[in-house]
Parts: sequence; C-alpha cells; structure tokens
Amino acid sequence: MTDQSGPIVGAPRSAAPPTASVRRIRLPQKLRNLELGLLLVACIINAGAIVLVQLGALGRVDTQLVLLGAGLSALVFGLHICMRFVARDADPFLLPIATVLNGLGIAMIYRIDIAFGDTGWESAAVRQIAWSAIAIIAGIATILVIRNHRVLFRYTYLSGLIAIVLLLLPLVPGLGRQVSGARVWIGFGDVATFQPGEIAKIALAVFFAGYLVRNRDSLSMVGTKLLGMRFPRARDLGPLLVVWALSMAVIVFQRDLGTALLYFGLFLVMLYVATSRLSWVVLGLTLFLSGALIASQTLDYVNGRFRNWLDAFNPEVYNADGGSFQLVQGLFGLAHGGLIGSGLGEGRPDITPVPQSDYIIASLGEELGLAGVFAILALYVLFVARGFRIGFAGQDDFGKLLGVGLAFVVALQVFIVVGGVTRVIPLTGLTTPFLAAGGSSLVANWIIVGLLLRLSDTVRNHPRLVIDG
Amino acid sequence: MSELTLLVLQLGFLLLLWVFIFAIIYALRSDLFGQRVRKLQPDVAAAPVAAAASVFPSSPVTPPPTPAVTSPAGRPGAGELASTENATRLVITSGAKAGAEFPLGRDEITIGRSSDSAIIIRDDYTSTHHARLMLWNGRWMIQDLDSTNGTFLGGSRVTVPTPVPLGATVKVGATTFELRR
Repeated sequence: MTDQSGPIVGAPRSAAPPTASVRRIRLPQKLRNLELGLLLVACIINAGAIVLVQLGALGRVDTQLVLLGAGLSALVFGLHICMRFVARDADPFLLPIATVLNGLGIAMIYRIDIAFGDTGWESAAVRQIAWSAIAIIAGIATILVIRNHRVLFRYTYLSGLIAIVLLLLPLVPGLGRQVSGARVWIGFGDVATFQPGEIAKIALAVFFAGYLVRNRDSLSMVGTKLLGMRFPRARDLGPLLVVWALSMAVIVFQRDLGTALLYFGLFLVMLYVATSRLSWVVLGLTLFLSGALIASQTLDYVNGRFRNWLDAFNPEVYNADGGSFQLVQGLFGLAHGGLIGSGLGEGRPDITPVPQSDYIIASLGEELGLAGVFAILALYVLFVARGFRIGFAGQDDFGKLLGVGLAFVVALQVFIVVGGVTRVIPLTGLTTPFLAAGGSSLVANWIIVGLLLRLSDTVRNHPRLVIDG
Repeated sequence: MSELTLLVLQLGFLLLLWVFIFAIIYALRSDLFGQRVRKLQPDVAAAPVAAAASVFPSSPVTPPPTPAVTSPAGRPGAGELASTENATRLVITSGAKAGAEFPLGRDEITIGRSSDSAIIIRDDYTSTHHARLMLWNGRWMIQDLDSTNGTFLGGSRVTVPTPVPLGATVKVGATTFELRR
C-alpha cells in the first residue's frame, strides 16, 4: 500500500453520483458550528475554574490571570478558524475536550501557585499558559503543514530514527539533566528543560504504523498453532525483541519505568491491531513483565517503587527517604475530597510533593471530588474514543493504525499516571496529558490533537454516495 | 462571599462540567446507537409489507431476508472477476438511486447506514456497518460485516469474503449494484 490515492473527489456529501467534474459547493459547516458551540462552553468552564479558584483561595477576583486565559482562548479559536479553511470535516469534539482539560490543568496549577505564593515568571501557571500558547501554535502548524497524513508514510524510517535520537538526547553529557532520579530531560545551562521523550512517542507512533503496514503480512500469516493461538515464527520475533530491548534500556539507563511501559504498550497494541493476533500480546506482556520483575529485583529505584506500592501504609516505608510519603499524601488528599470535593481553592493539595505535575490528578481529586475526577476521566474516554473511531472509519491502513496508535498512547499515559496515583499499579513519573505542568507534554499532546484532526478530516472527506430509502 | 454561595458555585461548576460531557455524548449519539431509521416511501414500501407478513409462521413466503423482488440478473456463468485493472465504477442497478455511479479507486468501500460509510444506504434493511468492498491482491472482494439482513452476491448470501465477478449483482438492503468496466 503505497500512496497511490487517486485524485480525491471533493464531492459534497449529500449530492448524488460524485464525479470528477463535481465542484465543491459551499455547504453550511455543521461540524464546525457544533465545535464552535462546544468551544464556547469549554471557555466558560475554564474561566469559571480560574474565578472559583480565586474566590476559594483569595476570596476576591483578580482579572490578570483571567485575561491571560482569555488570550489562550483566542488562540484556540484561531485553531478553530484555521480548521474552517483547511480541515472542514475534522472531528468536532477533539478540540473542545483538549481545551477543557488544558484549562482545568491551568486552574489547578494556579491554585497551587497561590498556596506556594509564587507570582510572575516564578508562577508555574503563567509558564503553563505560555507553554499552552506554544503548544496550540504547534497544533495549528501541524494542521496547516500536514495536508494529507499519507505524507508521513514516506517518512516512516526517518521518524523511527528521530524517535531514537530524541530518546538518546538526555543521555548526552552536558545536555541531559537528571530530575528526581529520571534522566529524561534536556536543558541548556539552567534554563529551558524539555522532555524529548514526549515528542518521541509521536515519532514512534508514525514509525510503528508505517512499519507494520509494510511488514504485517509476515507477522500475521505464518506460525504454529498452540493452545488455540497462532504463535509467530522465531525469526519474526525480531521487531518485538528490538522494542523490548529499547524499553528495557530506558528502564536501566534513563531510570524511567513509565516511559518504558508507554513505548512498549504502544508497540504491542499497534501490533495487535495490525495483525489481530492475540499471541503477540501474550508474548509481549510476558516479556515485559519478566523484564520488569528482573528490574525490580536488581535495580534499586524500581525495587523502591514496588515496595512503596505494595506496602504504602507501613510507617517505615512512609517515613523512609524516597518512601511512600507522596503516594499516601495523594491518597489522603483524594479521601479528603470525598464525593464532591472540598471546592476549588479550598483544599490542601499543596501538602503533597509536586502537586502540580505528577500529582495533579490527586490535587484535582481533592478539590473537585469523585464527581470531578470522573468528569475528567470521561473527557479522556471521549477523546480516546474519537481517536479509535477515526481509526475504525479510516480508509487506508496507515491512517487507521496511526489514529489508533495516537489515541492509545494518550489512554495508556492516563492509565499509567492515574493508576500510579491511585495505587492500582506502581507509581511512575509520567505527565497527565493536557493537565500536568510541563511544556514538552503539552506540545506533544497538542500535536497529537492536530494529527487526529487531520486524520478525521481525511476520513470524512472521501467520495461518497448517499442512498435514502 | 458567604460559604453557602461558594458551595453553590462549586456545585454549579461540577454540574457545568457534566453538562459539557453529556452535550458531547448527545452530539455523537448516532455513533453509540446507530443512525435513525427513515420510514420508507409508499412506492418502495411494497417489499417491507411482504417481509412483515412473513413474520407469521403460517405465511407461505419463504425465508424472510429475501423479499420477493427478483434480482434482474443472476451471476453470469464464470464471469471475469473484478479487479483494479478491469473495474472502474460501481453502478446502482435498482433501489432509490438506480443509475447512480460511484468511482472505484484503490481504497476499500464501506457500505452501511453509518454516516462514515463511503456508500450510505438509509433504509429499513441496512445495518449501520453492513458490508464492505475491499481489495485483496488487486481483486475486489465483498465482505458482509455481520449485517442483520445479509449481503447477497448473485442471489446467494455472502458469508465469507468473496471475489466479485464483473457485472454480478450485489444486494444490500433494498439496493442492488454491480461492478462495471
């Protein structure tokens, strides 16, 4: 499957036989108008969150940050207007959902700034707003530059190379920075710190999609049957072993469990979607779990994570250096929140270490309660479901796989973070997509939004024939 | 500001958040529950009456999925199989849009009531994702996507992906079409 998509006939959706001579007629942009309506609600929610934080924590309304937030809303509407011209049929739900999540994150970070007394550029919220602006501009650029996602198919191996380079960057002496144990940052001097691994996940999704479309036949057709599953031949295990070795290298050298799990999970799911063979998942999970088990026995930091997870409420573990203090504080915070939360600006999320990045979901859980956390999770579910939908409805295999991969990477990241904070799985340091403080994560996720919007536009913008019985 | 007002505002905020979520779910309800079925016009409604009658066990009409409409052409004996080389268009031969054509490219064609299908057929017999025409080694194959009323190739129900001969009649719901040069 190369890119031999003939000229795509831009026929209006409801017109009868689409032929090459039919010109695009200006139809009312139903999808875009729906998006505009949802975006307005999204902006009201975001402004409401900031105002409530100020009322709860300061007892008065301060217009400065609301104005900054309004600037951000203007950028989001800019993206919306761009789509009216270059992606008319794109999915109308992705942008409003991403906007609400981003805005809730900013409000929560701002709330924690108030508790810490940070203002100006010291304030993480102001920096988050600046990064959001950069991220949304990156999203706009994505949708303007990539007019057809099949272009990415040509750069399959290049994006694989880019992903490897980005992954290795933090290990370069002088450039890499180690923050709270994990060596996944790069910085220049003391100023800008960036996690190249966040961008690498997009490059990896493109690479996996292109690679699997080219090679899936040998991965899915042959093999021996055992226990009702068709297992692949030993010589076809190469790609799986390479990605497994890569994620084990991330665990050992970058000391980052979450990122390793994210990359490996992404590959496994795309492999499963491409070949529809359960045996790959079984093999992959066995490999990863045995790797993680060995790591937990030999590597100190992994061992510590497992101990904190299994024995969190033991006073020894709780009081130990690098113990479960943070984890348990987060749980206490969530418990304090209860069903409807303490109210924005009225809880004590600042007691937990790093409440604005790794633990933002616990902070939100404390102040918005179970109702709020479920609302946030519902937003993620809708976002991911739209991505899967794009994958399901796509016409070309590359687009299908890319859509599923990009959506799944967001889903898995949410699971790893929220699962870690709520003690379902061992805690690992990953950012919550759109919510957590951190520029690289925001940029990466808004690029994902741009790509998904582009994919959904291509999916709908196909010749079609409507027969009404 | 009193605590009560603040509490009401906070609850209002949570409510707004959920209203937003349900607004989205309402807007994409067709994804969750399928497209709304349109009522047939009286002239096309002859077939459904026959199908409805066959619900009664005593009715002489045999298997319900095939209404009494006879397909205009059966499978031409040993017809040439349609491939990317020899088939260029899909022609609707009976149904509401008889005579309409659809260009065959190199992408698979999905057929169903869902608005993301390439060929959208909205009648009482068509499932949301009914069937698809896909390319296997350059050959056009018809695959039934587990539809309720089935897909028929030259009068027989399609159970596994089947190559489509040129000019053979494919029937989906109340619509039939052929692949032509």
